[in-house]
Amino acid sequence: MTEVLEIQSTKDNVMLGLQKALSEYSIAALTRKGGKVLFDYVDSVDKIELEYTPTVLSPKKFFFPQEEVILEYTLEGKVNTKIEYKKTVLFGVRPCDITGIQILDEAFSESNGDPNYLTKRENSVIIGIDCKSVCDENAFCYKVASQNPEKGFDIMLRDLGNDYAMTIATRKGEVFAEEYFSTFKPDYEALHEFRVQKERAFEEAGGPFEELENLPAIFSENQFHPIWDSEAERCLSCGSCIMVCPTCYCFDVIDELSLSMKIGDRLRRWDACMLRSFAEVSGGENFREEVKNRVKHRINRKFNFLMLKHGRSVCVGCGRCVRSCLADISPVTIVDALTKTSKEMRLEEKNNDLYLPEKAYIRKIESFTDKEKFFELEMENGKSLGAQPGQFILLSIFGIGEAAISVSSPPSFGDRFEIVVRAVGDVTNKLHTLTEGDFVFIRGPFGHGFDENILRKMKGKHLLFIAGGIGYVPLRSLINLTLKQTDLYKKISILYGCKTPEDRMYKDELAYISTLGGNVELLETVDKGDDTWLKNTGVITTLIPQVDFDPEETIAVVCGPPVMYKFVTKTLNDHGIPNSSIYVSLERRMKCGVGKCGHCQIDDIYVCQDGPVFRFSDIEDKEEAL
Amino acid sequence: MSKPKVAFFDFTSCEGCQLSILNLETELLDLLEIIDIVEFREAMSEKSPVFDIAVIEGSYSRDSDLKRLKKIRETASVVVALGACAHIGGINALRNSQNKEDLMKKVYPDNPFLYETNEKALPISGAIKVDAFVPGCPVDVKEFVRVVKNLVLGKDPGLPTYPVCVECKLNENVCVYELGKTCLGPVVRAGCNAVCTSSGGVCIGCRGLIPNPNINSQKDIMEKYGLDMKRIIDSVNMFMTEDAKGVQ
Repeated sequence: MTEVLEIQSTKDNVMLGLQKALSEYSIAALTRKGGKVLFDYVDSVDKIELEYTPTVLSPKKFFFPQEEVILEYTLEGKVNTKIEYKKTVLFGVRPCDITGIQILDEAFSESNGDPNYLTKRENSVIIGIDCKSVCDENAFCYKVASQNPEKGFDIMLRDLGNDYAMTIATRKGEVFAEEYFSTFKPDYEALHEFRVQKERAFEEAGGPFEELENLPAIFSENQFHPIWDSEAERCLSCGSCIMVCPTCYCFDVIDELSLSMKIGDRLRRWDACMLRSFAEVSGGENFREEVKNRVKHRINRKFNFLMLKHGRSVCVGCGRCVRSCLADISPVTIVDALTKTSKEMRLEEKNNDLYLPEKAYIRKIESFTDKEKFFELEMENGKSLGAQPGQFILLSIFGIGEAAISVSSPPSFGDRFEIVVRAVGDVTNKLHTLTEGDFVFIRGPFGHGFDENILRKMKGKHLLFIAGGIGYVPLRSLINLTLKQTDLYKKISILYGCKTPEDRMYKDELAYISTLGGNVELLETVDKGDDTWLKNTGVITTLIPQVDFDPEETIAVVCGPPVMYKFVTKTLNDHGIPNSSIYVSLERRMKCGVGKCGHCQIDDIYVCQDGPVFRFSDIEDKEEAL
Repeated sequence: MSKPKVAFFDFTSCEGCQLSILNLETELLDLLEIIDIVEFREAMSEKSPVFDIAVIEGSYSRDSDLKRLKKIRETASVVVALGACAHIGGINALRNSQNKEDLMKKVYPDNPFLYETNEKALPISGAIKVDAFVPGCPVDVKEFVRVVKNLVLGKDPGLPTYPVCVECKLNENVCVYELGKTCLGPVVRAGCNAVCTSSGGVCIGCRGLIPNPNINSQKDIMEKYGLDMKRIIDSVNMFMTEDAKGVQ
């Protein structure tokens, strides 16, 4: 079915139809039993409660029962799977629970489809009844946008007084309505009026969470928020919140042998990550022993981990956990607190002198080439820069402007740091006129360099540094870092190409590296040599075949002029190194350094924040990248 | 596999747990297919000097109990504490906060010194090492059968470590706190299928505390729902000796 069908029927006719359906189906609906209002099987439609009272358990129990047998076996080794189901009409499910069923449908059908859930689900017809107002003060469906589900039901009823308007969402629903209800054209005006009233009522209750779409990020940045401590302190770990949740679906598996000790069942039973034993393994080790971690895990599943997977909040706002928590722990309180903190953090960043540079003194200058000079800088406040290899700073000279410059010294360089600057623009030209003792202003460090994750991946590997011209400078901090601990790597090969021998950076250092030996090698080439040049002549790619490497065990790091990347990455690919093993450091025009000014943007990424260091496979498809 | 020999013993108790086991009727016959009951004062006159599993009902409250308990421990390879009295002290332990002499005068005003009793009524684990227990006042016989079955299979007894709230919710009960009552369900071990709260009562803690209960939060909640501290302490102490709070 592609189109949603709108029809209408009288309430009496709907009830009559259901009564008729009892000959073919079991009917489960809201009903009264021993003083409780709950979803249960009814033997007559007059036992159905049409007025909604929030129930303790959601109707998920009809597809995923509290306990069910999944295997039957004998100790002699006979074994059968067991799937119990009966053809069921589930009547009167409310929108929050329907959204919950939709989420469970996704969870149980992805990758390995769960036969016990799916069989029960296939053999059911779900008839929802839409809510016209929020059911009680604990419900917060409108905060997580679950009050208007489009899937998870076959027929949705809307109360129009004497009649029910029906939205048929599936072929199954269409067949059922045809068989059991006599329907007519809907009163569109009344239906519209219902929808308007509903919308108004839910709006009055309050809109969605302020940053609903953004909750996974907000939860991720608030894993150490103090509210986790304060909620955990009150939490009883009683598991009630999970037992009543319409979207929790974790279970335990238990063998039960009959007293005859000959035959037995394997059962699955609802389990709860809030219970202390949930993550305990034989031997007593518990991987989530702290109450705080369990509270965090439960709420993060709803608004972070599984929200990312399902593309919507996995909490449907039915309010059951809030009603059942004696310690008054509510997802709403937690979401509000984390959102508030994240907003404050963003505001604080804004106030936090984002554009205010700090003074730094030039302590040492050295000319590397005609156009490139080396500067050693020291912050006036005495702080070390604390840059990651591959990060950059914004250097300003008042009256002239600000320019993005790579940091070339390794992280543990003490209070000073180094840059190498080519005089090509206003700021860099001016910088070249300054002398030792003069000052400049610095912001940063900025960007995503070679972080811990990348460094960890590099351990034990053959590192292939490929630099062209001044491209040696952004790589130098990482090169020097790895040269300090050469035994961490299988081999370190540095391939460096320049136009002429004169154009080379850090000439003394290169001379030193070439004497290191061991697992370190330096291969150099120039486009045009002179009388003293005894090494290779030719483009940088000619050096690659000279290195003996196992492509599976090699990570290449590339930096140079834009034209170089295309040829180098192709040659590396030709030698078996995939783009996922190539890191590049990109250069772009940058004005702010913090992902706002837009100059460095490549499609959806900001080089200043997401880079300048990228794994090549992450950006290879972006036309503008190289 | 020869059937393990099981002997039942009783100490300070009402013997209701053993009675519950006798009430198993048909299942009792099935149970006898996997175990041999060699001593059970409430049901048979035979006694046996040898047994593999000793099932003990009642708390340890007299000096003379100690010798008997030690003898049982020496003989049995597995000792099972049956019911709240053996497991956590039970109702007998209600007297533990009172002075022994005053108490004797109150209970036996005519001849207070004719009766032997210790300062405190303790769980069996106060005298000997206990390998497994079946909690409750009285025990849940289905749970008793499961524990026996698991012991015969060489498995962990398999008692829940989660609180009564879990089973109460599975039974779709409206929380008794919402009905204006107070309940120990959030900190007391499940396994009873929330029988009291499902039948209009509240949990009074006969099965002992769960491991790592959040007692502070439980007190705050009871206070919030109108209990004063004395009644909170009384309700928590109903079944548990102070010494048994840590017994799991």
